[in-house]
Parts: sequence; structure tokens; C-alpha cells
Amino acid sequence: MKEKKISPIDLLMLFPGVGFILLFIGSSIFLTLVQSFGLFSITGKSVFTLENWKAILQARESMDSLFFSLKMGLLSSVGTVVVAFPIALFFRKGGTGKGILGSIIKMPLFIPALVAAFLILNLISYSGLVNTVLMRLNLINEPLRMLNDKFGWGVVFIQIWKNLPFVLLIVMAALASIRDDTIDAAKNLGAGYWSILFRIFVPLAMPGILVSMILMFIKAFGDFPIVSVAGPIYPASMAARMHIMATIYQEWDQAAVLGVIIIVTAFIVIWAYSRFAELAKGEV
Amino acid sequence: MSNLKITNLTKRFSEVLAVDNLNLEVADGEFVTLLGPSGCGKTTILRTIAGFCNPDRGEIFFGDKIMNNIPPNKRNTAMCFQSYALFPHMSVWDNISFGLKMQKISRQGQKKKISQVMEMLGLEGLEKRKPGQLSGGQQQRVALARAIVTEPKILLFDEPLSNLDAKLRVQVRIEIRDMQKRLGITTIYVTHDQDEALAISDRIVVMERGHIEQLGDPYNIYRNPETSFVAGFIGLANIYEGTVVARDGSRYTVEAPFGKVVIVSDGRKIPEASKTVKFVWRPEDMKIYIQGAPNRVKGKILQAVFMGNITDIFIDVQGNKMRAQIDESRKLIAGDVIEFSIPEDAFSILRG
Amino acid sequence: MALTDSTAETSLYLIQARKKRNFYLLLMIFFMIVLILWVGIPILMAVMWSLVDPKNPWSYPNLFPPSFSLAQWKYVFDYTNIGRALRNSYSIAPLAVLLSFVLSLPTSYVLGRKKIPGKKFFMLVVLLPIIMPGMVVALFLSRVFTAFGLSQTFFGLVLAHTLMSMPYMIRVMTTSFQAIPQDVIDAAENLGANTFVKIRDIFLPMIRPGLLAGMIFAFTVSIEEFNLTFIIGTPTFETIPTILFSFMGYNFIRTNASVVALLMMTPNIIMLFIVERFLKSDYLAASLGKM
Repeated sequence: MKEKKISPIDLLMLFPGVGFILLFIGSSIFLTLVQSFGLFSITGKSVFTLENWKAILQARESMDSLFFSLKMGLLSSVGTVVVAFPIALFFRKGGTGKGILGSIIKMPLFIPALVAAFLILNLISYSGLVNTVLMRLNLINEPLRMLNDKFGWGVVFIQIWKNLPFVLLIVMAALASIRDDTIDAAKNLGAGYWSILFRIFVPLAMPGILVSMILMFIKAFGDFPIVSVAGPIYPASMAARMHIMATIYQEWDQAAVLGVIIIVTAFIVIWAYSRFAELAKGEV
Repeated sequence: MSNLKITNLTKRFSEVLAVDNLNLEVADGEFVTLLGPSGCGKTTILRTIAGFCNPDRGEIFFGDKIMNNIPPNKRNTAMCFQSYALFPHMSVWDNISFGLKMQKISRQGQKKKISQVMEMLGLEGLEKRKPGQLSGGQQQRVALARAIVTEPKILLFDEPLSNLDAKLRVQVRIEIRDMQKRLGITTIYVTHDQDEALAISDRIVVMERGHIEQLGDPYNIYRNPETSFVAGFIGLANIYEGTVVARDGSRYTVEAPFGKVVIVSDGRKIPEASKTVKFVWRPEDMKIYIQGAPNRVKGKILQAVFMGNITDIFIDVQGNKMRAQIDESRKLIAGDVIEFSIPEDAFSILRG
Repeated sequence: MALTDSTAETSLYLIQARKKRNFYLLLMIFFMIVLILWVGIPILMAVMWSLVDPKNPWSYPNLFPPSFSLAQWKYVFDYTNIGRALRNSYSIAPLAVLLSFVLSLPTSYVLGRKKIPGKKFFMLVVLLPIIMPGMVVALFLSRVFTAFGLSQTFFGLVLAHTLMSMPYMIRVMTTSFQAIPQDVIDAAENLGANTFVKIRDIFLPMIRPGLLAGMIFAFTVSIEEFNLTFIIGTPTFETIPTILFSFMGYNFIRTNASVVALLMMTPNIIMLFIVERFLKSDYLAASLGKM
């Protein structure tokens, strides 16, 4: 069929949803961008300047925060997918008890992020369950520092725990769409377990895996509350640093610079995703 | 109920000409089948009649009334879809009553009509079921009931039987035909199944690439195909080209690659000027040669497939392949040499 | 002779099959236990912490609290703002869901059923609230809100929550609209249905499962929304997440936080079990599986 032109009525009907989102998100992106260059500043001045960018890019803290947030985003997204994939394979075929098990594994999806942080925090804190058990078993002499640790493992673990069901849902749907015939055909042609895994399951689930990794990355990269409660004292995440900049130091223009960096990173990741997705499509 | 007239209908989808200046008249109460391969435009015509598709050019008339600008919901046609298109969230009863509700028919009236139709189609007892709980055949009947209960002017079928298994397909097509005759509704039926078309129709419109190849009753379409497309699309065909060497009234002697044949042309004459003609005969017309029979051909069996009631044979006659289907008790095997005759009136002359 | 041979082989084959089956069964049981512990232990710990008796504190090396009491629950309700936060959370969420439904319905219809240029672009725009990092949006949207006088207002919070829940709502409903076969709509029209009847009798009933799923996702998004509420709402309006955050901040009171955490997640988990059958049809995956 011919690609029709957009009719005024369609446009009118698109407006409530798309317009609402564009209005609010667009205006906040716009404000972030112009403010990073000193325009529409909260101080009332509106002069174009690169001072804020200079200040932020020269500060060691910003770079540390950027690397820390990138690390969190990458580890969380890769980690979640690595954990989710075998579970998704396990759930591909129905079986006794899998229904209720499926509901249980999906629970964290409905547990708010902060609650998830708190639940895991209980487990891995200095005097938490994990340390207690390990010490009782005489495996360690001194409690391990897993919470507010320098590296941020605690944050990564919380992100994985909370986002596992989300990734699971998407990957499971991708796996479910693979017909048994396809797998039987592969077996019939002599494919073993590993070949089936890497030549059938992984490539066919790739679009789903990529999307969930993107969404995970952006969530973990731009996270504020979880890093604030479970992350290291230093460096702060980009979002936390931006928050401090704006509300404690009242340096809104510099906060805007950090905001732009976060947004740009998010868009770069999405762009990379779309390239990947195209590549994956080209191969199939 | 009404007659249907289509004039100069043309519809183009970007690069593809789906329907090309098509004219068709269907009499009141007639059952006409549009037959053709996929992409020949038959479904586009059906959807244009229903009003889902606006023609680029041409008019649709129901009776004397031009329908082009009437929206689908005001046309009073009833369509049976290939997918049945039952409303999955409604019970059988609600599905069937939908059209009547749209016509604002009283509850009493609805009840009477629906009961009647359900009884006619053997759907009693299924009123409360949802489509998902029905078998394919039952769903098909509900779709049919939903269509006819509204007493449409024109009944439209879009390959309604293609999702049924072979046995049920034959049964339902007989039911459709019976019901159509009883109600006398003008019916347009789209299919790509030649058997179905032959069995069910008053007239068949054979279509290819948006135009009509041939229009006629099932007997004529099968016995006297006019083009090699029609000959090849409906039934099996041996198609050859030859040179006319002699003529005696309607008897032509044609020099074909496999030898001379005598053809009696019943209807169509071979134009005086043309020397070469294309002709066709059916595999089942070939008979085992007996003394005195016309058009004797001798060939070697390449392949013989025993099919029970007939034997399907591919033969090689001086390097020319032809197909025969004969009722022969003897077991035939590849390599046998066999003699056939072809009755003079078995041939049809093709135009192009 | 041949007979005994084959029987021996058969039984060997059976033993191998049984071994294999037992191995799979063990593997599966192990897997199930791991999964149950994975989700169960964190929740169990929170339950225990919320029931710790303040007179008899729980500390190393006890694996379980020495005694239980409801004192923490009483304390939280008596001395904190939790009641108000609960009220705020559960009054904002339904309003946000309703508003986002009303705004999303026409948009989803067009995106799901119409052939329009730039559909891909619109589908991506619709995802912006999820794609954009929450804190950036929160901080700079708060300036827009301040300009419109919406900061620190209840209506402002409803708008903010609506914004965050719309991607799910629009995407899920768009998928539902797409899933309706064109034939069914044509059939309705063929039988005489006008636009109004088509919407009332065909579209709305047929998107209902997707609509419910979308509403549930939107609801949970609103309940757990933190960034925007934190910047735009506090301190005037506390919701459960912001109050939990404050308990987990400088003066971390684990017992209080346990109570709030449980209060916050229990309704959600109950909802999960109610809506399980909608989740099974994988609306979320179908609608977010592609960008």
C-alpha cells in the first residue's frame, strides 16, 4: 500500500500522548542544553558561556563520576543478561511447578527499586545475613565490605536483582517465539547442545537481549537513589553528582552540563543499539 | 437481493495494477466465482464491492444504484472472511446478532431470525460458546450464519474454505451452494481452488493479473478454455501449436510436432489468415487406440503412476511429451510402447 | 539368543534414560531452590527486621531475632509521616493512571492502526520518559514546573507520574490495537457498524486485556516513582519511596525502613498475583521488545 500522508485527524489524535511527552521531556532537555551554556540561567542572567563546561570537564570528580556511572551501567546490563539467559532457557519449556516459580521470579519487577535496594542491603550489609553466615561457617574471619564498597558491587547486585524479571520477560518472549521445529531441524542436522545455544537461541533472542540491555544500561547509568544508598562514598554517580551540584552548591548551570553529558551518553548508547540491531537484522 | 454491475474498474497499488479496467455483470440470485492465482486481483474486486477499497476508476452498481460513495457499513453486503473474522470476545449468539443489532431489528425479530439460521446451519446448542471454543468447521458456519442472517443484497466470500480440511471443505461447499440457492442471494465467491469453483458456481470468472481471462459456466470453462492460461490453470492440459494444412468445414487438419491431427472446432473458427494455431486437449480425453479411431499417436511411457481409478501416464511421442489419464486395468510400466487416439472433438482452439 | 541380546540392550537403555531423567529432576529441584532463595530470603529478612523487638535487639551472631513484636509497626505509624505518604501514593497513582489512559487512548489508536509516516519516530518519542535519565528530567522539569506554578503541588505530581507511566501505557495499548485483525473490524463494518459502534463493541472489548496490563504497569510505575517526586514534591508531598529514602539516608533506621519497605511492596505483590495471567501474555515484552 502507498504510504499515506498524515491526516489532520490522526495528528490531532497523536497529540495527547506524543504532545504531552514532547512538551515536558522536550522542554526539560531544551532547558538542560541551553542552561549548560549559561542561557536562561536560574540566576536570571542569560549569557552564552563555555565556563560551565570548562569547570565540569576539568574537575576530577566529574570524570570519576562519569567512569563510575559507565561502569555501573555496563556491569549491571551485562550482568543481568548473563544471569537472565539461562533462567529464560529453563522457563522456555513449561513444566510442573514452573508456573508458580515464574510468578515468584517475577516478583522483583513489582518491588520498587528502593525497596529492592533495601532488601538486598539487609543481606549484604556489614552485619548482614551473608556475612553472618560466612563467619559462622568460618569461611571468613572478618565481615566483607559489600555495601558502600569502593567498586560498587553492592549497586550492581541490587540492579541485577531488581531488573532480572524485566530482562527475563523480554528474553523469554524472544525465546518463546522460536519454534520447536527450528530446534528439531538443527538437531536433525547434527547440532549439539552448544551449537543450538549459540547458533539458534542466542542469535534469535538477540533483538530482545539488546533492547533489555539498553534499557538496563540507561537505568543503571542514570540512577540516583540506589547509588545514593548502596554505592561508594566517592565517587558519586553522575545523577547524584548533578543533584548535589544543583541543590547543595546551587550551581544549576554546571549541573546542566552534567545533565547534557548523561543525556548524550544515553543517546549514544541508543544509537549504537540501532546500529547493532540493523547489523543483526542484516545477518539473519 | 439485487444484481451487481461493475464497470471499468481499475485499482493500482503503488507499482502493481491490481484490477485493470474490468467489467462484470452479475444477475440477481446468481452465484459467480472469481477464480485465479494469488495476486490476480480477485480479492481487490471483492473488497471494492464491500466498500473496503476505493477504486481509482470505475463504478460499482447494486441494481441501478451507484455504490462508490457509500461506506461499507451502509452497503448491506455480507462478507465471509478467510480468517472467519469472528468477534473473539462475543458469544456465538452475539456474533450472529451483531448485524441485526446494527439494522435496529427488534429483539423478538432477532431471536426468530437467528434461531432459524442456526437451525439451518446446525449450530443449535452453541449459542453461549465463544469462537475460541469452536472447531474450524463450526467457526466457518458461525461466520456464514452471521453473514446471511442480515439478509444482505449481496453475499461475498473470500476463500472461506481454505482453512478447513479437505473432507469438510467439500461438505461445507455443498452446504453453501444449497443455502444460496434456497435464499436466492446474489453471491460473489473468491477462490483459487479450481475444483471448488467448478463445483459451486453458476458462472466462473477466470482472472489473471487484474483482467478477465475467460467468463463462462463451469462446463464451458473446463471443456472450452479460450487461453492457455485458463487451460493450464483449470484441470490438466496438453497444449501444442501446429500449422493448418487442410480444412473441410469445421474440420481442420493440423500439422503438429508429433504428427498430423484432425480437429473439429465446435464454436470458435480458426481465422482464415492464420496458419498456426494453438490447441489443447485434456489428458483424460486420450484413449487406448482401437481400430478405426481418429488421431492415432504412438509413444513410449516415461512414467506411469497408478492412482486407483485411473493411471496417470507421461508419454514421449517422437520427442514430444504429453500426459494421459486412462482407465486401464492392465498394469502399465515405464518403457512400454502404447498407442492412443484423441477424439476429434476433444480439442479446443486457443486464442494466443 | 537374539532375543536375550535385545532385551539386555533395551533394559540398559531404560536405565540410562532413568538416570538422565533423575539428573534433570535434581537439576531442576536445585534450580527451583536457588530461585526461591533468590527472591525469598531478602523478603524474609525484611519481614524479620520489621518484627524485631526493640527491647531485645537482633545482632551478630544471631541468625534470627531473639523475639518478635509489632512495636516497630506501631512506632512507624505513630511517629512518622507514613500515613500521609501512603495516602499520597495511593491517591496520586489512580489519578495518574486515569489521566495517562485518557491521553494515551487516541495516540495508541493512531500508532496501532493507522499507516502514518514517521511512526518509528513517534514510537521512540513515546519511550522518552523511560529512556531519559530520571534525575536529569526531574531537575530541569522542576524548573519548567516552577515556571507554571506546578512545583510542590498535588496536581504537579499527578502530571509528573502520568508522564512517567505513559510509555508503558501507550506502548502496551498500541500493541493491543495492532493485534486486532483487520478482518474483524472489516466484518463489523460490513455488518453495518459505524465508527462509534466499532469503538464500543469491537475496539474497547478487544484491547481490554492489554489496557488492564497497561494500567497495572502504569500503577506500579507511579507507586515506585522516585526522582520526580523527590525533586518536585518533597518536602510538601511525601510518597512512600521518598519516605523510604529518607529512612535509608543519613540516619539509617533499619527496623523502620523494613516496615515501610513491606508496606510499599505488599500491595504490588498482591497485584502481581492477580495480574499474572495478563503478564503471561507478555504485553510488556511485546511492547518494549523493540525500540
